[in-house]
Amino acid sequence: MPETYDAIVIGAGHNGLVNAAYLAKAGKKVLVLERRPVIGGASVTEEVFPGFKFSVFSYVVSLFRPEIVRDLQLTRHGLTILPLESTLTPLPDGDRLYRDADHYRAMREIARFSRRDADAYEDYSRSMYFMAKAVKYILGVVPPDPTSLHPRDIGELLRLARHFLGLGEEQLFTLARLMTMSSADFLERWFESEPLKATLSASGIIGTFLGPRSPGTAYVLLHHYMGEIDGVFRSWGFQKGGTGGLAQAVALAAQSYGVEIRTEAPVNQVLLKDGRATGVVLENGDELHARRVVSSLDPKQTFLKLVDPAQLPDELVADIQRFNIRGSSGKVNLALDAAPEFACWPGNGPHLRGAISISPSTDYIERAFDEAKYGDFSHRPYIDVVFPSMIDPEMAPPGKYVMSCFVQYAPYRLRSGNWDEKREAFGDAVVNTLGEYIPNLKNIILHRQVLTPLDIERMTGLSEGNIFQGELSLWQLFFLRPAAGFAQYRTPLRDYYQCGSGAHPGGGITGAPGRLAALEILRDWKS
Amino acid sequence: MKGVPAKQAYDVIIIGAGHNGLVAAAYLARAHLRVLVLERREVLGGAAATEAIFPGYRVDTGSFSAGSFLPRLVQELNLAQHSLEFLEGPAWAHALQLDGRGLTFWRDVSRSQAEIEQFSPKDAAKYPAYLEELRRHARLLQATWTMIPPHIPETRWSELLSWTPIGWQLRRQGKRAMMEFTRALPMPAADYLDERFESQALKGALASASAFGGLLSPGAAGTALMLFYQAIGAGPGAAWALRSVRGGTGRLSEALAKAAQAHGAEVCLESGVRRVWLQDGRAAGVSLESGEQLSARVVVSNAGPGQTFFGLVGAEHLPVRFVRELKNIKYRGGAGRVALALADLPDFPGVSGAGKEERLSGRILLAPGLEYLEKAADAAKFGRLPDNLPLEAAIPTILDASLAPPGRHLMLVNVQYTPYRLVEGDWEARRDELGRRVVETLETYAPGFSRLVLDWRAWTPLDMERIFGLTEGSHSHGEMGLDQLLFMRPVPGYGQYRTPIHGLYLCSAGTHPGGGVTGAPGYNATRAVLQDLSRQTGVVPGRPD
Repeated sequence: MPETYDAIVIGAGHNGLVNAAYLAKAGKKVLVLERRPVIGGASVTEEVFPGFKFSVFSYVVSLFRPEIVRDLQLTRHGLTILPLESTLTPLPDGDRLYRDADHYRAMREIARFSRRDADAYEDYSRSMYFMAKAVKYILGVVPPDPTSLHPRDIGELLRLARHFLGLGEEQLFTLARLMTMSSADFLERWFESEPLKATLSASGIIGTFLGPRSPGTAYVLLHHYMGEIDGVFRSWGFQKGGTGGLAQAVALAAQSYGVEIRTEAPVNQVLLKDGRATGVVLENGDELHARRVVSSLDPKQTFLKLVDPAQLPDELVADIQRFNIRGSSGKVNLALDAAPEFACWPGNGPHLRGAISISPSTDYIERAFDEAKYGDFSHRPYIDVVFPSMIDPEMAPPGKYVMSCFVQYAPYRLRSGNWDEKREAFGDAVVNTLGEYIPNLKNIILHRQVLTPLDIERMTGLSEGNIFQGELSLWQLFFLRPAAGFAQYRTPLRDYYQCGSGAHPGGGITGAPGRLAALEILRDWKS
Repeated sequence: MKGVPAKQAYDVIIIGAGHNGLVAAAYLARAHLRVLVLERREVLGGAAATEAIFPGYRVDTGSFSAGSFLPRLVQELNLAQHSLEFLEGPAWAHALQLDGRGLTFWRDVSRSQAEIEQFSPKDAAKYPAYLEELRRHARLLQATWTMIPPHIPETRWSELLSWTPIGWQLRRQGKRAMMEFTRALPMPAADYLDERFESQALKGALASASAFGGLLSPGAAGTALMLFYQAIGAGPGAAWALRSVRGGTGRLSEALAKAAQAHGAEVCLESGVRRVWLQDGRAAGVSLESGEQLSARVVVSNAGPGQTFFGLVGAEHLPVRFVRELKNIKYRGGAGRVALALADLPDFPGVSGAGKEERLSGRILLAPGLEYLEKAADAAKFGRLPDNLPLEAAIPTILDASLAPPGRHLMLVNVQYTPYRLVEGDWEARRDELGRRVVETLETYAPGFSRLVLDWRAWTPLDMERIFGLTEGSHSHGEMGLDQLLFMRPVPGYGQYRTPIHGLYLCSAGTHPGGGVTGAPGYNATRAVLQDLSRQTGVVPGRPD
């Protein structure tokens, strides 16, 4: 049987593409197989309504690893991040909290709510900057197995211990808190004003099925601080042409190294022979052969769907079955006929080129969570809004706008009814909530796309529509992600690997799992 | 015990005669130090006290279980000699269900399985393995109880070395068990139980141990750890270390006081401390509310961390960073208490006949499902009393008739998820509501209950603070959250019972390992004191026996 490819990567999401590019750059012949007609996975731009382009799912970029941008020369292939410089928190009473890149202006604005908070903001920003820098280290590390006596694992554990103990007392304690506290409690150590605390704490709930008062969310908060664009920490940006542009850039880079990408080629099964992967079977029955197979799909699909679980150790199957991958968010994409008018900021303004956060208070978000906890969507949800066409006019026809709304909470499992029945009610809840802050919104909506977690699952294949391929809970991180003993991108089946966000360091458009998996695969190739 | 201190100078003055203060007193006196214990109240024991609330009754006003008290302390201090006797019935809990059924957890595992069988045969089959796993985790955790947390990040080799047996114990369990333990520590109790069982009746009852008198819901990360914590000392057939003391928990405190006195310690009641006085920046003694001044080489505070430093020392004597950390301690007490004098045993449907007393001989739990608890916690976090109260009760008179007049019974009820901070009204005005709600709730599960009530008394979290000095009503002098354990308890950098004030030590539940009638904080604090004294003088205080 002729071996056509060195490696087949399943899924052309950003991690699959990064993985393929690294493998091909090392001289391997790589084929990427994508189920959908477009590449990108959850990083796609689609013209959902004529003339209106949307970053359908993932909509902002920050966490993408700079070393990948360098290694794959992504800027040459079209990676252009436009900065998203401000965050506006409109308040129900018509007031607002507006923070932009000008640190002193932000402090003055915060001082309107609390002078103490304005002073603390400086400290807080500095502290988080150091923490993110310190912890960023683990984004580039293959998690060592703490139960292993292999010199490589022990060496890495010692390096980690030295790294973290070397941080100094104060930083170490802050880190310990970030790993254990709720984002609300963590922020309450610094701040007292509600709009600021709530807006900051929202970073702690994204992609999780936890509320701002749930312990463990401070880590998710930190996860979102590890972003870096062009050496600027904690900056968020918007890829020109939408998030799909990022996947395109990686795809172009991959192709420049010789990667072949095939769309509309859904994989049905991984081919196994004597306990090792030898290729894949497509849904149309075609067999493709490769020396190594890499899955960028989430752990549930990688271990329970693409291969027969009977081929895997029972313990691993049990671990993957209990892996928490609860979808908790939805997305509403709106095509607008005119510019939105905020009650707190009428007319055009810089706020429209930044993020809008519907997070008036911590209790507001916590209540949204409480509702979702028992299987209903939040009727007054947390919403993170951007207007991509304000930053990149090519996203919409002249004079018209696109609006992207990330919504939490929308639990995948509803207690009563199903998402196909409740989709529009959910969309209405989002529009109604936004309407309280943007009075003209209802009159300017031309089209509306409501994506429930079920839709996200159906379209992208992400199980339960979980955007992180598994929650970033403390017991699902690092050497426990996705399962103890299999956090080093390998699987119990020889030549079968995982490279999705379900592996360390987790979700967000980081590219890190794809890269680290490629480095491990290449290491196996050498030995 | 009442009255005035005999001397003016002591080696050690202990502030507070809670069980931890008394453990410290006994050990320090045993090491030939002159020890004085000062208690503000007229009764011994702090939150481990028994008082005559209703005529003829002996009521545990604090904890009504001492199941996790360290066995080594009982032995080393010869507490049995001082008439300490633990009692446990054939059942460790009986869980009331919404549909009127009950689920009894017997200490006999197969008998429990037969009960669980009625709710889920699958769960019944898994129950023994669950208890075994819990025991394994509990054993590991218990080993850490008598350890002084390492100083981080400047850990000394000797400290690390002292932890190696625990590391070895973990290792020996094998890779899988090691990972399972590591994974379980930060998990929510709800997730942990959901992974193992399907029956809400079973999961609710087991999860009710995770609240630990605080506001953390079973869905909060880190509460699985509380399941293991509560299982320490539980014995083979139980998931929760529930044992009472003959004569009331106060008897344990009395036994400790007697042991301390036998070694020469003095214990003075109604002797509130107003201030720890400092000389050249170190603790030199205390001044009493009566104005008297007493000097000591070492002062050990059994009061909570906030009360010790803000109430007795003064922030002006402390490093700024330390003060900031103290202010940030989360207390968040979340339990009210109702004591009921009953004319007879209540009638729960399905609990009758000869087996009635047996079934009700442990905790009586009202926690019929995880969601029941979660919703209660939701209400409490917003400062509301839950619509449906989760209860953790006991009728101690079943095992010990001496606690009530002949034929009568006493029922003690912990009302879980009772917030310290109310969004409406205040506890002074709403105290009776707490008692009324408990009686109403029990009436629905045991029709006719209210007719049995001869007398009752309620303690709100605010009362706990005022009477027992428990800040925000927190039984454990600080929430038992992941961020406030081990070297982070009471505050990061001061997890070794020592404080920024030389000669001042902490020994309350606000230090490692935390709440419960364990004696561990008192025991560990003693070791820190003795280490430091021998370092100063070069003489190791004597160890008799």
